[in-house]
Amino acid sequence: MTALDNYIAPTSLEQAVEQLQELGEVTILAGGTDLMPQANAGRVKFKRTLMNIRRIPELRGITREGDEIRIGALATISEIMTHPLIREYLPLLVTVGDHFASSQIRNAGTLGGNVCNASPAGDTLVPLLVLGASVELASMLDDKLFRRSMPLPEFFVGPGKTRLAPAELLAAVRIPVPPKGFVARFHKFGTRPALDISAISIGISGVLDKGTLSQVRVAFGAVGPTPVCGAATEEALEGKKLDAATIAAAAVAARDEVHPISDVRASDWYRKEMIHNMTKRILEDVSASH
Amino acid sequence: MPETIQRDSLIGKRITKLDAPEKASGKTRYIQDLDVQGQLYGKILRSSRVHAKIKRIDTSKAKALPGVHAVITAADVPYQRPIGVAKDHFPLKTDRVRSTRDEIAAVAAESEAIAEAALKLIEVEYEDLPILADPYDSLKPGAPLIHPEPHGASAKHDHLKQAQGIAYLGKPDNVAMTFDYAQGDVAAGERESDVVFEDTFTLHYVTHCCMGVSGIIAEFDSSGNLLLYSNTQVPFLHKREFAEILSMDPARIRIIQPPIGGGFGSKLDIYPFEPICVYLAKATGRPVKLVFTREEEFLASPTRQPVILTLRSGCKKDGTLTFRTVNTLHDNGAYTSWGATTPFVMMQTISSLYRVPHCLYHTKAVYTNNPYAGSFRGYGNLQATFAVEQHMDMMAEAIGMDPLDFRMKNAQDPGEVTPQGMHFKSCGLKECLTTAAEMSGYREKFKINLANRDKPGHIKRGIGMASMLHVGGGAKIYPSDGCGTILKMDDFGSVTLITGASEIGQGSETVLAQLVCEELGLPLSAVRVVNNDTEITPWDVGVHASRTTFIAGNSAIGAAKKARSKILAAAATQAGLNADDLDLRGSHIVEAKSGTVVMSLSKLLRQLHFNDKAELVMTSFYYEPPSRHQDKHFKGDVSAAYAWATQVVEVEVDTDTGIVKMLKVTGAHDVGRVLNRLGIEGQIEGGIVMGQGYALTEELMVENGIVRNPGFRDYKLVTAPEIPEMDVRFIETMDGEGPQGAKGVGEAPAICIAAATANAIHNATGVRIMALPFTPEKVYRALHAAKKEAA
Amino acid sequence: MSQQAINFTLNGVPTRVSVPVDMSALEMIRNVAGLTGTKYGCGEGECGACTILLDGVSLNSCLLFAVECDGRQLTTIEGLASDPLGLRIEKAFVEAGAVQCGFCTPGMVVQAKQLLEQNPHPTREEIQRGIEGNLCRCTGYVKIIDAIEAATKDLPPAPLPGEGGNGRSLRSGTNKE
Repeated sequence: MTALDNYIAPTSLEQAVEQLQELGEVTILAGGTDLMPQANAGRVKFKRTLMNIRRIPELRGITREGDEIRIGALATISEIMTHPLIREYLPLLVTVGDHFASSQIRNAGTLGGNVCNASPAGDTLVPLLVLGASVELASMLDDKLFRRSMPLPEFFVGPGKTRLAPAELLAAVRIPVPPKGFVARFHKFGTRPALDISAISIGISGVLDKGTLSQVRVAFGAVGPTPVCGAATEEALEGKKLDAATIAAAAVAARDEVHPISDVRASDWYRKEMIHNMTKRILEDVSASH
Repeated sequence: MPETIQRDSLIGKRITKLDAPEKASGKTRYIQDLDVQGQLYGKILRSSRVHAKIKRIDTSKAKALPGVHAVITAADVPYQRPIGVAKDHFPLKTDRVRSTRDEIAAVAAESEAIAEAALKLIEVEYEDLPILADPYDSLKPGAPLIHPEPHGASAKHDHLKQAQGIAYLGKPDNVAMTFDYAQGDVAAGERESDVVFEDTFTLHYVTHCCMGVSGIIAEFDSSGNLLLYSNTQVPFLHKREFAEILSMDPARIRIIQPPIGGGFGSKLDIYPFEPICVYLAKATGRPVKLVFTREEEFLASPTRQPVILTLRSGCKKDGTLTFRTVNTLHDNGAYTSWGATTPFVMMQTISSLYRVPHCLYHTKAVYTNNPYAGSFRGYGNLQATFAVEQHMDMMAEAIGMDPLDFRMKNAQDPGEVTPQGMHFKSCGLKECLTTAAEMSGYREKFKINLANRDKPGHIKRGIGMASMLHVGGGAKIYPSDGCGTILKMDDFGSVTLITGASEIGQGSETVLAQLVCEELGLPLSAVRVVNNDTEITPWDVGVHASRTTFIAGNSAIGAAKKARSKILAAAATQAGLNADDLDLRGSHIVEAKSGTVVMSLSKLLRQLHFNDKAELVMTSFYYEPPSRHQDKHFKGDVSAAYAWATQVVEVEVDTDTGIVKMLKVTGAHDVGRVLNRLGIEGQIEGGIVMGQGYALTEELMVENGIVRNPGFRDYKLVTAPEIPEMDVRFIETMDGEGPQGAKGVGEAPAICIAAATANAIHNATGVRIMALPFTPEKVYRALHAAKKEAA
Repeated sequence: MSQQAINFTLNGVPTRVSVPVDMSALEMIRNVAGLTGTKYGCGEGECGACTILLDGVSLNSCLLFAVECDGRQLTTIEGLASDPLGLRIEKAFVEAGAVQCGFCTPGMVVQAKQLLEQNPHPTREEIQRGIEGNLCRCTGYVKIIDAIEAATKDLPPAPLPGEGGNGRSLRSGTNKE
């Protein structure tokens, strides 16, 4: 039996973080797609209070704020896929959504939930990393609503572990509006279009100008305890002409910098091979289509 | 009233299923949806160890939990008797656990949540024993024994001392079962051979994944009669077996089958949860409902038999097959269910799918601490066909013969009696082969793909074929392979068809209704089928072996023909005509030649009913097929008819990833005759996709006795976007014994897919993989190894 | 365990129930409201047998907290009996032979309803993708896809954006790698 004996559904962000601070022992409910099965399987134990944050308007909506797109933590994957701002500026997230679980789960699962779960195989995390995303975290400071921003790579600590403070709520994900010439690719490895936990995933982005890549970002999923940035691969690509030699070197760098484990989905060896082969394929595709 | 009615037939038409409207609207009540007033909820505590002695069980805390009505262990049911094909386990384990699914204790409580909470309060102390996780290890001298001695306390009761079964006697080795079959002289066959291959094929664990999880409700009345709401596929066999297990009079057991959320062979045996639910009902005096979780379904429902199969086979340069020698090692798991007996079917494929003069077949099923296998659609045939059909391609290649020609040369013809004694009265194998090959463009594509193998590019296409032979007219494995029918007509010309045969979603009740309508000239709407209550329905051996259409169909026809004779005789008397000149059409009695209406059927029935010599039209029929038991050498004609098929699979292999995409399946199926086109297409399509899962995506991963993926997240059923294009044609050989010429088809479509996929991957890449499933990593590793070898 | 009273509309009927806070909507629908057409298949959102509509959007009710239904419109397979499109889909399932054991069928029908509301004339591939979260072990999906395709016949075209309804197509125009 669980210790759960209280249910609250705050209607403003301020109220939510206030209660969070007051009550301490709180389990946050957003889309529920992960919380419910994890709780049923006993992998997550409910704390005393269940806080349903779905009634908080500030956590909703997708807007442009200056040079950033702000995606409210409660935006569902379906909402993201169909939103005009996303389709115009961040089409990579549409591709991501297309491979995300199933229609029913896309309708329920939230971006904030996916980020806070911090699964090494979390579908949105690698793309968000290569899009240069940061998280907007809300809490109470001196009796006032306080927001801070944190670059996404710093946010992940381990499987299911983030730098979210105990009385803090993830309010939104902010993504810079991509510069001119921006290209981004995401590859989720699997045998079917969706409803698959990826054995590996790769994201690559950068600015492509006359065949040369710069401002390169590379990230890998399911090859370590958190989604990881591929510094060595980035280095192999940064400022280089995207030719066969660069691509080959980048693929090798990618394979050599990941340290995956073996589990039911794949062996470490196979994961490294796929990181190599798919990095190569993505880059060849970028090179061919520009 | 119409003046004339011409003869019309429903045979071969697209008939919608009688139960579909209820199911599509969510009104059908499956076992999960049934509640009995006053019921309690049962839950089972399973072992947390793979192999261990049970040192102590303490249920006192669980018993003290409010809302708990009973907590039972083996000690509380001294009357329990062993279950399973070898009577090698007690439903509640006594002194040791032999796999992680093992049942240790059970709770009945007022809610599922309370029952679950109570399970957590049961304390069990174990003493671990060495684990046997590999069947080879089970055979090593000095290997730990799985059933070294009689099982614990229950076996010590005096009244059980005389009993047979491993649970009472123990087993001094780990061999659960052996099968030996021989025909001809394989050494002589080998001497004649120009080409000989020997390879070992490894077949994995998969499980049924019925969408409706297992469940049962048990209830005793005040006279001690037991009512079971059960998902069983074999109600009459289980009535008898439950009686034996529970030491009850079979007459006191009634089984009602609610609609079943998927069968596929999974419900042919009694599993521990069923007697346990009865024990709980007995202990509490209340009805008890016990339904699995999905995780439990993965852990504690049966699997397909994992097999390691070594095949040695040969042929002459001209393509004539010479011999086959087969040695198989079956991982039996800790207990013996029907999976152990799949060699019955495997040897048929090995001896008789093609003409082979000399055969030697040996199987050992050995105990391990792994999950145990039950029966599963295809019953060993997927495994045997996987090996046989790969060797067919390999031998064809070795002698430089087209794989299709090679198969045609060795294919069976109608009328043949094989050395194993199977008599192929109807046989469309050659037509299946040529039809499937032609429809798919097999010969041309095979050559084109070969030519493209070494060209640049990471996407390779392949085409592969495989054929199959399976029982299609029942299977005489029990003293009777029969089915009874009672047919009752009311005063309005409607029929109640009471059949022993169970509907498990496959559409049998619709086909049976159709066959009755054909004899009695009725619209489908005039027939109601009753098929789910042992208190009402006549005996049947159960839904298995693709037998229902054939056996229950013939039985229904028999009853309908009797009713027809009775009706026509009465009509002839009334109308002063000759019965032979009359026919039944459109719910009327008509003159056969002209179609002129003589009278309406309902009127005739009422006249029969409401007169001085009042009579009802009610008939019964029992059909027993003209098949024979195998003798002790496994020879005999076990089925009244045999079904054949050839399937051609086309794949795309991504050599960078090892991902195999199934593009298209072309099938030609000898089904005797199509009765319900909609239904038979559904069977074939579903079977193809089940075969696809077996070949590509599904695997129950068992590591050191522990199931690593007990959920749909990592046990990957094929989803809608992954299915191949399908092109299926039916070869109608009009079997002489079949109902309207039909043969069984339920299992056939799943059988060839993995074998044909293996051949297609080889066609695409030149790499032959002899272990299933063809997951990306396995295929990639094989490609990688081949590349290394070449370099 | 604290109970929470919630008010919602269940298949058009105003409903008030009290549920444990951690109860799933699936459990509430089956065990509290007594509607058994919504099935338990896995409890993990992997099979789709428990698909329902919440404010017209399809969800796995096994993953949904019952308390989240407060103030919203919940539609189950039973509710489609009074919905013209729902009925049309059910009829198409029967006629196309899309039903075998039938256990996945209610979830499939509900999911098909959402799919056709968003995209009244999907291609076969779009239908396949639309039901990728619904597992079926019997049919091999072919006849289910046939049924959904047949149910689109005579449907009016998609409403234009802003014309009300939920006329977006989630699929058209998505980038595939």
